[in-house]
Amino acid sequence: MDNLEMEIKNLIAEIIEKDPNEITLQAKFFEDLGVDSMMALEIMAAIEKKYKISIPEEKLAQMTTLADTITVAKEYLVNKEVTNA
Amino acid sequence: MLNIEEIQAILPQRFPFLMIDRVIELEPGKKVVAIKNVSINEQFFNGHFPGSPVMPGVLIVEAMAQASIVLFFASKDLAKDKKMAYYLGSVKVRFLHPVLPGDQLKITVEPLKMLSNIGIVNVSAEVAGKEVAKGEISLSAKEIS
Repeated sequence: MDNLEMEIKNLIAEIIEKDPNEITLQAKFFEDLGVDSMMALEIMAAIEKKYKISIPEEKLAQMTTLADTITVAKEYLVNKEVTNA
Repeated sequence: MLNIEEIQAILPQRFPFLMIDRVIELEPGKKVVAIKNVSINEQFFNGHFPGSPVMPGVLIVEAMAQASIVLFFASKDLAKDKKMAYYLGSVKVRFLHPVLPGDQLKITVEPLKMLSNIGIVNVSAEVAGKEVAKGEISLSAKEIS
């Protein structure tokens, strides 16, 4: 497990109040983990804050598992590095 | 600025649960500043606490949440003839100083993240320039009829 995966997993665990071990890469936020739309938005906002990135609204619908969330986060982290370069 | 009639046109809450008296600043989508005048006649002071009146922190949160609804409403331009229900999703607020009878609470709300029907906002309350509570709350709105 890389750093980013662990960080995002822990961040989600804190917001949804679950054990990080329950948040596997493929566990579905809504069906398996009891995440609601407000928690999903909080997850998005927390990632934005932690990594100082901005993720557009429409990406929220794609963030339904830890794996998908990491993919979205990576996309904007890469953009950020490009912008900074 | 919104007077109490305009506030009541937005907020569904009524006595004894309408926790803001006036909106003194409103920038749709950006910021709202609301006032709550705290009087010894508030009925919660009867029990909180006898002989030592302190405004309950949860009611400061309620005032913050109501100011947030105003921000939400103004930002999203939800039609006034729709009946809306508002839900508080999470509250992370730190209380810094007690709020006492005679205090005027000045509540400032600014959005952190706001979508069409859910939002996370930064909230802060001050009395005479001193911050008494601050934090972050999330809320959602739903049309019910």
